[in-house]
Amino acid sequence: MNQPSVPSKPESFLNNYRLQQILSRILLYLCIALFLFIVLLPFYWILMSSFTPRYQMFSIPPRWFPAALTLENYVKLTQNIPFFRYYLNSLSFAFFSAALSVVLSFLASYALARIRFPGSNLVFIIFIVSIAIPQVGTLVPLFEMFNKLGLINSRFGMVLLMASLITPFTVWTMVTFIQQIPEEIEEAARIDGASMAQLLWHIVVPVMTPALATMMIINFIISWNELLYPLVFATSSETKTLSVGLVELAVDPSMGAGRPWDLMSALSVTMIIPVLLLVLVFQRLIVSGLTKGAIK
Amino acid sequence: MEVQAPSSPARSKSHGQKKRMSSLARNRYFVALLLLLPALGLRLFTSVYPFFRTFYFALTNYNPAFPPLKFIGLGNFLRMKSDMGVQASVSFTIVFVVVSTLLQLVFGIMAAMLLNANYRGRSIVRAVNLIPWAIAMTVAAMGFRWMFDDQYGIITDLTVRLTGIHIPWLTTSLGAKATVIITNVWKSTPFLALVFLAALQGIPAELYEAARVDGASSFQNFVKITLPLILSQVVTIGLFMVVWQLAAFDLIYTMTGGGPGFATSVLAYNIYQAAFGGLNFGYASAISLVLFVLVFIMGGLGLLLFRRVEVEY
Repeated sequence: MNQPSVPSKPESFLNNYRLQQILSRILLYLCIALFLFIVLLPFYWILMSSFTPRYQMFSIPPRWFPAALTLENYVKLTQNIPFFRYYLNSLSFAFFSAALSVVLSFLASYALARIRFPGSNLVFIIFIVSIAIPQVGTLVPLFEMFNKLGLINSRFGMVLLMASLITPFTVWTMVTFIQQIPEEIEEAARIDGASMAQLLWHIVVPVMTPALATMMIINFIISWNELLYPLVFATSSETKTLSVGLVELAVDPSMGAGRPWDLMSALSVTMIIPVLLLVLVFQRLIVSGLTKGAIK
Repeated sequence: MEVQAPSSPARSKSHGQKKRMSSLARNRYFVALLLLLPALGLRLFTSVYPFFRTFYFALTNYNPAFPPLKFIGLGNFLRMKSDMGVQASVSFTIVFVVVSTLLQLVFGIMAAMLLNANYRGRSIVRAVNLIPWAIAMTVAAMGFRWMFDDQYGIITDLTVRLTGIHIPWLTTSLGAKATVIITNVWKSTPFLALVFLAALQGIPAELYEAARVDGASSFQNFVKITLPLILSQVVTIGLFMVVWQLAAFDLIYTMTGGGPGFATSVLAYNIYQAAFGGLNFGYASAISLVLFVLVFIMGGLGLLLFRRVEVEY
């Protein structure tokens, strides 16, 4: 063949550029694959373990894919711990903690964002700085105080503590939310003589609904996952949550040597499912809430 | 980012209305107080007051099983001088926090750039990124403890297959330290990636356009454009993670119980064990003070860095 073996310069440049593009695409997809593998591997492993019969879990080398699937781990879980009781406790603990913190934070944030009063800046800073007080460092005085008040092993006491823990972050985020709402409507309502309660309920809350829902979801997830407060303040199965159930399985002496990975995996799956659903359904809201305070 | 003063437009007051306005103003302060009181009260009651009360308990031998409570001065702190567990915890707490935070920042930026790139299925990858944030640390710690198991764990198996070396992840001091840090980084990096992604999305595309016209490489783009523009968020989140992770408890409690030996023990774990394992409330309070000091020092250093960055950019 008599074709010119040396292509003209622009063409070679183009080919080179094209090759580079393809290579960088391949590299990108490799990175994505690696990222997904790292993030999802633990979930795959927990899910698989929860459906693997106990006698198959301990094989050397470990099986990457199950040879048999079973539901017996879940059945055994409900027999070994008061699973449904714990589930209800977790739900109510997370829901009421989230609700209380959202209501209190909303009122406080409105005052901080909209009402000009001396020391408002200081109050805001007190809220933010109190995030730095380590939760674990205040347990002893809290325990003593709650003991005197009869709030040990009380759902109400646990909700108070949890709501308080998540309030600073909620206030921080909500102040930003409120500041982004135009103030004119409120001004108009105020001139028309609306009381503060009317103003908040009829004007501000409707506008703030997405923000309130966002913080409700985020706070629910955080409370659902909480370990330390239930571990210390829930002393009977009447108030214990799933997270406490999980760590109790891990240190249960009646399980003999080694940990009951079959039961722990099954319990973990039941703890993951609700938050996974929330994340998949409300992804946008959650992302906006989590980044609101940091990005302005 | 900056902790902004909540602002409202200053209203101009005419002289004739002055008297009426001041009563209105007083009314406004009252309303503000009323709105703030529930949240502020709850915080004072469950956080600020217990915080200060810890200082008092730290100077006593308070043990609910053995009353009466006696004032013992610095006795608890002298006791720490011979407590290997607490000493090991102080150093590992610092190592754990510093190494974790640095890795989270680096991987967080990398993950954010991956989430910001253009490809099909990006929204799915972004959703997946949220999942580690949303699950309980207890669950993550449990899963990783099982995956790093010396005999039956798949990560142990994977490292053997890839490198031919059996890494004693949880059975040696160094291995266990690495394991808890890896787990911690896995759990929290997605949250940082999320914040950095939002920061990346705020960078105007024209900057990259201009750089492309000038023939800048992607590495130059990153160093000259991306990094300076997200630096403020990087330092803010870094500071937040340092302070927050100093009190890390769930991970260590679920995963290693501080072992082997005191290899992975952290102050938060020590405090819990002293208080609710041994009922040594006084001693636990004294260890809490050590934790407070650590938070104060490392938070302060972080804040200084934050100020410097704010000035430079």
